[in-house]
Parts: sequence; structure tokens; C-alpha cells
Amino acid sequence: MSTIVVGYVPNALGEAAVAEAVEEARRRDAELVVINTTRADRLVNPAYADSEDVSKLEGILSAAGVPYSIRHSISEATAAEEVVDTAAELAADLIVIGLRHRTPVGKLIMGSTAQTILLSAPCNVLAVKLS
Amino acid sequence: MDNFFLLMEGFATAMQPMYLLFALGGVLVGTAVGVLPGIGPAMTVALLMPITYSLEPTAAIIVFAGIYYGGMYGGSTTSILLNTPGESSSIVTALEGNKMAKAGRGAAALATAAVGSFVAGTIATVLLSFLAPFVAAFAVQIGPVEYVALMVVAFLTVGALLGSSVLRGLASLGLGLFIALVGFDALTAQQRYTFGSPFLADGIDVVLVAVALFAVGEALYVASRLRHGPIKVIPVTGGWTSWLRKDDLRRSWKPWLRGTFIGFPVGTIPAGGADVATFLSYASERKLAKGENKKQFGKGAIEGVAGPEAANNAAAAGVLVPLLTLGIPTTATAAMMLVAFQRYQIPVGPQLFESNSALVWALIASLYVGNLMLLVLNLPLVGIWVKILQIPRPYLYAGILVFAVLGAFSVNFTPIDVIILLVVGILGFFMRRFGYPIAPMVVGLILGPIFESQLRRSLAISQGDPVALIQSPVAATIYVVLIVIFALSLLLKRRQRQFEAMVAANADAADVVRGSEAGTAGAGADASTTAPSVTAPGSPTSSAPSSPATSAAPSSPTSPGSDRKDTGR
Amino acid sequence: MSTSVQNSPGSGTAAAPGKPIGELVFALLIVSIGVVGFVAGAGIQTPPSASDIGPRAFPFAVSALLVAVGAGLVFQVLRGHRGSADEGEDVDLEAKTDWLTVGKLAGFVLLHAFLIVPLGWPVAAAILFFGAAWSLGARPWWRNLVTAIVLALVLQFVFGGLLGVSLPPGFLEGLGIFGG
Repeated sequence: MSTIVVGYVPNALGEAAVAEAVEEARRRDAELVVINTTRADRLVNPAYADSEDVSKLEGILSAAGVPYSIRHSISEATAAEEVVDTAAELAADLIVIGLRHRTPVGKLIMGSTAQTILLSAPCNVLAVKLS
Repeated sequence: MDNFFLLMEGFATAMQPMYLLFALGGVLVGTAVGVLPGIGPAMTVALLMPITYSLEPTAAIIVFAGIYYGGMYGGSTTSILLNTPGESSSIVTALEGNKMAKAGRGAAALATAAVGSFVAGTIATVLLSFLAPFVAAFAVQIGPVEYVALMVVAFLTVGALLGSSVLRGLASLGLGLFIALVGFDALTAQQRYTFGSPFLADGIDVVLVAVALFAVGEALYVASRLRHGPIKVIPVTGGWTSWLRKDDLRRSWKPWLRGTFIGFPVGTIPAGGADVATFLSYASERKLAKGENKKQFGKGAIEGVAGPEAANNAAAAGVLVPLLTLGIPTTATAAMMLVAFQRYQIPVGPQLFESNSALVWALIASLYVGNLMLLVLNLPLVGIWVKILQIPRPYLYAGILVFAVLGAFSVNFTPIDVIILLVVGILGFFMRRFGYPIAPMVVGLILGPIFESQLRRSLAISQGDPVALIQSPVAATIYVVLIVIFALSLLLKRRQRQFEAMVAANADAADVVRGSEAGTAGAGADASTTAPSVTAPGSPTSSAPSSPATSAAPSSPTSPGSDRKDTGR
Repeated sequence: MSTSVQNSPGSGTAAAPGKPIGELVFALLIVSIGVVGFVAGAGIQTPPSASDIGPRAFPFAVSALLVAVGAGLVFQVLRGHRGSADEGEDVDLEAKTDWLTVGKLAGFVLLHAFLIVPLGWPVAAAILFFGAAWSLGARPWWRNLVTAIVLALVLQFVFGGLLGVSLPPGFLEGLGIFGG
């Protein structure tokens, strides 16, 4: 059975990515691995899902009826490394991420998780845009 | 009304576009550091002391006053939205405010805190404007004997009350007094404790020690026990549609006023600063609430936010009374503002109102202006304040270190000061580790030289007879008042601790119940349901192992018993 | 379905911070500062002309305070009364003391002191920030570097250039906006 790795953040974009990933999983008959991690290096990290978000996510995934697992943890690695490493570890067929518009200055200051994943992914990457 | 015209002149100064800009900068920086963990107004004023080299006094003092007031506002934002009070004086706010935020009433809690702070800050500034000149007029008449008595009061209350242990507070005070002795004796020009070193002959600069204790000590201490816990995501608050409804306003205005009149007097006496005032206000609101409202306490009663927030801002203004009229700082931030005056060779003490009346009144006028700015800015900018909480901790503390070395180097422009900074910073690290409060040391460092010269002057007058120190009727009265304040404050502290232990016990019990109801087995990560588990130091921590929420560390407010930012950083 | 949630709740009460040895040493240090105060205080010269109590009395009083309070603390610690370590939002009292990070930070501050003069303030400050951020675990390194350089330049510009604090500009010497 093939595997699809999804980078999830608790917002509309993250949900769009998951929805798209569910479609792909059905099409490819694959298992979904949803990843949400934090480095826990700051007081507030809105990209990290709390338990409410996780149960909401579980609701969506079980309703979709695809096999899935959720990796929700604190990790030393950055979110991009975590997604890429997991994809490599599971020999995933596809990575699904959300892609949002970034200003050049924003990218300079904060870097871009999406860009890092795109450049170092071991497989194809599906970048989902929020319509 | 002579003073009224002076105040109007102060407004004329403070309303100049340049000074408005400085005030704006000050309140923005102040709110930011109030929101940020690990950095508070005292540390910020210490770190920004280099601006006194080129800014003129009025501008710098306006900036520092803005930071002082802004810090009070900033603390409430994190208390309400995150249950992590940024300031010691906002701990009580977290009790009810965070519950309100969870119930979707976050906007109302923020609004009542902001408006309450504004109302209290403004009333308290009015009180300050009218009271301070009278106190100053009285103060210029007192002699060195009475002044010695006042400083003994300040030393003992600051030493014994800012912190959880009396002996540790006094030890910290003693260390400050000792460091202040290093260098030339001002009266006889004899070298003291210089050990023959030319670097010590000029004494150790107050700013250097303050920056080292507040900033370097804090950075090292945080690094030693850096939190890697789970992160609590901000509860989303409803839009501005739900902010202060008629009902909220009806329930808030009395607590605002009561908080003001509790906070201001508590601020003026050296009884431990704003946190005592917030606690008193909370306790009285809880007692005064009736019927349905009373039942809401512990579940998000708006009175429990309105009162304490008003009290802490009123206390902040109250603290300025002894600072401006007597030259006696009772909190760490006030101590740093005194240092700023000293940087400009402005003698702080009873004569300040006469010798620098334009500056003092411009400062007071800027407090009115700053308060208004904070009210206008704080609510719309909540999103930004929450954003700065996303600064990664390594950057925050690395940045604090860079500012610290900047401040240290610019004292004398010699790298040796950076090394002294490090040494004193390591001392500050161990003080934090072993529970020694920082503020008494800074106060001792600043007041020590003034105290010694007054003491020697009084003894010279009495030809060395120490009995003279208590013979003056005024001084004797001050000592009696000292004993009363002391006893009262210790009593209050004890009450506060009992109260906190009680709140902690209740919160724990509630968590255990909720934990079993929710039954989120395995997940355990429901940091968002964490009740404020306030544990007083020394009280048996009753966090039952079965309650995951209480130990989800980052969301539980820090202990109010420990002197937090205003006093410690 | 495997939900690998690792944020396990740290249960139990707060661990006692450190060993009492450290606290005892600190209390003894306070006593010894007081003792040094007495010994060195005896060496303070009193001009014969002084009409008041002279420059010695107050140092002796402070030394006495330190000795008395320090002794009281030694006694307290020996009887088992421990100080409660300072708390904070970013402080985990249950965490083991990370001496390595503390040492790294102190080392970078010391290094900074030696670099200011040869390299100029901006370079020394950038190295301090970069080193401190690295010690505290910030990643990735290039973002640390960019942040360090930008911060150092901004501070040099604001304090050296705008506010006229004479920070040695190092290689920026000659660029007026960075002061000097």
C-alpha cells in the first residue's frame, strides 16, 4: 500500500491540503500520514494543533474513510525536515502541502517551509492553494 | 491654582509632536515587553539606558514613563488570552480573564481591562497631580534625620516584602548596599573596597549592575531551565461585536473605581507594589459580588478582571508619589527611573518639584497622554501583541544579551565593563536559582549612597549621638508607621498566600473533574482547558498526578508569590 | 490508526531545584562577603579632620547585616528551608539544569568582550547573537546568521548613528550613518 504524507496546520489552508490529500488517497488507494509538529521553541505557535484541532482532524479523516495516521508531536527538527524525513522513511509516493502567498521580505525573514519541502522532497509534491 | 498652571505647561510640552512620538514609542515598547515572556519594564528601562546619552531629559523620561505604563497594559493581554501573565501584577487577571476568553468573551475581558486601566490610570494620575506637590512641599521641610527614617522604611519594606523570604530579601539588599560602597567615599574621598584596582576606584556603575542582574541573570537562568513543553494555542476571541455590552459596563464601572482607590494608596506605600493591590481588589470584588455574579467567580466573572486591572494601573501611578516627592523607589522599575534622573545629574528627592518642575510636570502630563494612547492602541493592536509571542525563545534571549552588552559597553566604553557585566550576571543567575529577589539589591544599590550621606549628616549634627535619629517627633512617627506598615504587609502577604493556595486547590479539583469528564485518554494535550493553577511557594503543590491539565506547564500562570517582572526583572 | 502524541504530561510535584550544597555555598558566600567587608573595612583610612562618623561606620554596618543575614540563611538551609527558585513563562522548574547552555552563553559574552575592540561592535554583537541563538537551539543556522547581522546593523545604526553612542563601528568605519 502506498503512502501519502500531508503537512497539516490548523487553519483553512491546512484543511484544504488535507481535503486534497484525501482525494489523492482515494484515487491512489493509499494511506494518509498527517504530520503536525512544533519545535516548542516559542510561547505561541499557531501552526501547532491543539487537542481540539486534532480531534476535529480525526473526525474529518474518519468520515472520509481512508486509512490514516496522525503524527502530532514536539520535535527538534523543523516542520519541513519532519515532513521530508517522514516521506523518506515511509518511502511515500506523494507529499501534500498547503502553499500560501508570501511576500519576498516575509520569505527572507522567516524562510519558507514549503520551499524547503519542494526542494528536498524525495518524491512528488502536491502544493495546494487556497481558492 | 499654581500647580494647575504648571500641569497645563506640562501638557503644552508633552503635546509637542516630538514628545508625542516619544510617548508613543515608549508605550509601544512597554506594551510589547509587557506581553513578552522573560522581559519586563524594569529590565527594558535598564537596557535602554544608553538613550540617555543623547536624548534630552524630558524625552528620555517620557519614553521610560511610557514603558512603565505600557508594561501594565501588556501584561493583561497575555493573562487573558493565554493564561500566562506577563507581569506579576496581572496574575490575578488571569484567574477570571482567561476563563472569559475560553467562554468566547475574550474581547469583553480585554475591553474591560483596557478601559479599566485607562479609567484607573487617569484618576490615579489626577490624584498624583494634586497629591504629589503637597507631599513634596512637606518633604522639603524634613531634615536628614527624618529622611534617614524614611529610607529605613523603604529598605525594610522593599527588602523584606519583595520576595518570598524575608532573609533572602535582606541579603539581596545587603549585597546591593555593599556594591554601592565600592569606590571613593563621597565625603572624605577615601577609597573603599577597591582592593587597589583602578577599575573599582570609580565604583561599579548602577546601570551595569542593573542590566547584569535583570538581563544577563535572566537569560542565563532561563537557558538553564529552558521550557520545551507543549505549546498552547491562543483561544480565538470573537470580533469586536461582543466587546463591552451594556451589561458588562454596568458590572465593570464599580470595580474600576474600587480598584482605583485600592490601588493608588497601596502603590504609594512601599508594600510590595502592584501585585498586592490586584490581590486586594480581586478579594474585595469577590466578596462584594452578589447572586448570579458571585457564582461566576472562578468561571469568568468580569468584575474579577475589571477590579484588579484598574488596581494595578492605579498602583503604578501611586508608586510615582514617593519616587517624585521623596526620591524613594519602591519597585524595580521606579528604581530604574530614578537612575535615569541621576544620569542627567538631576537630584532626585524632595527638591525635585522645585528644581525641575518643568520636567516633572511634563512627565505627569505625558502619563495622561500615554494612558489615552494605550487605550486607543491596545484593543485594535491585540493581534500584533499576540504575534510577537511567536518570536522563538532563542532569538528573544539572544537579543536580550545583545542589548545587555550594548548597555554595559556604553557605560564607559571599555570592554572590561562587559566582563563585570558577566560576573554580576552570574551572581544574578544564582540569586534567581536560590530564590533571592533581585529588586532589593537594585534599590539598595541606588539608595545606599544617599542613605549613607544623610545618615552621616544627621549624626554630624547630633555629634555622633545615635539617639538623635529617633528623637525627632516626625522621625519617631515614621518609625511607628513603619512598624504598622510592616505588620500589615506581612499579614497581607500571608492572606495572599492562603488565598492563592485556596485558588490553586480549587483549580486542581476542577481540573481533575474536567479531566475525567473529557476523558481524552492518551492525548493529554488539552492544554487549552488548563485552569489557572496558582501555587504559592512553600504551599504543598497539590497537582495530583491524575490531572494532566495542571501540569501542562506553559499555560499555568506563574506563582504570584515570586516577585515577577516589575520587581524582579 | 496511531496517534503518536508525545507531549506527555509531566506529572508529580515540582522537583526540588538543585542540591542544597549550592544554596549553602551561596549563603556562606554572603557571610564571607560580610567578613571581607569587615577586614577590608578596617583598612579604610579615616582622615583625622573628619567630624562625623567617618567613612568606616556604614561599611561596617552593611558588613554586619551581611554576616547576620548570611548566618541566618545558612542556618535556615541546614534546617531544610529551601529557597523557591524564580519562576517564569519560559522556565521549566522541573527541567534538569542545563549547565552546558549556561556555559556556552557565558562563553559567548566573554568572547564578545574581547572582540569589541579588534573587530568593532557590530561584528562582535553579531557573533554574540549568532552564538547565543545557536546555544539556545535556534535553527536553521542561516536564519540565525541573517537575524544576527540585521540586528547588529540596526543597533549600530540606531545607537551609534542616530543616538550618538560611540560604539566602535569596526569595518563600517567611514560610513557616517553608523557613527564612530
